[in-house]
Amino acid sequence: MAPEIMVDAATLREQVKEKYREVAVNPHGSFHFHTGRALAARLGYDESLTASLPDSAVESFAGVANPFSLRSLSEGERVIDLGSGGGFDCFVAASQVGPKGHVIGVDMTQEMLVKARRASGELGLENVEFREGLIEDLPVENGWADVVINNGVINLCADKRRIFSEIQRVLRPGGRLQFADIANGKPIPEAAIRNMDLWTG
Amino acid sequence: MLKEAGFVDIEIGAAVDTFGGARGEKNARVFEVQGYPFLAVKPM
Repeated sequence: MAPEIMVDAATLREQVKEKYREVAVNPHGSFHFHTGRALAARLGYDESLTASLPDSAVESFAGVANPFSLRSLSEGERVIDLGSGGGFDCFVAASQVGPKGHVIGVDMTQEMLVKARRASGELGLENVEFREGLIEDLPVENGWADVVINNGVINLCADKRRIFSEIQRVLRPGGRLQFADIANGKPIPEAAIRNMDLWTG
Repeated sequence: MLKEAGFVDIEIGAAVDTFGGARGEKNARVFEVQGYPFLAVKPM
């Protein structure tokens, strides 16, 4: 039997989009999570790399852990970042895969895409691109990626099984999924899970 | 869920206090919510 999805996926998506539109245009606003350079330092990102990036590439970062901490990427690898936001993790990935690699960031929020593309232009990165799309329906061909990364995005989606299935589709055999996300140590009551406001803070 | 989706060689890294000092800290503490890095491989 298919597992029950406890919130309406489309409504949740709109709420998430609204929240991250705000993070894009007002990155120093008051959110229930940290953002920007202080967050990157807190999560253990390489501070010299973060320092080398312009504010526009870091200030809207809103990840939850470091997807590169268990394993770095290798030179020449092809990478997809699901829910790439302002592009920070894509720029970290680009620094690891080098000019022979390729990074595609996928995001559904226009304001984030505009910001990420602008920052990528400032950095002169020709092997990083940002595509508009949903992570449940990735605009990438089958088996293209060596690595799929994402940071704090899967927990914001109602149908997680569909996302993992989509990740399987775009990864080549032997490819890796390296992601960061939140997990709870104590069970969350069903009423809280059904309360959509708690999904996005 | 990763196993169900067909991934193998799954690793979970050390927890990070993602929400410490942020506005969401109170709710995070109630349910012991922390950030984690994950690694999983699609079989050959």
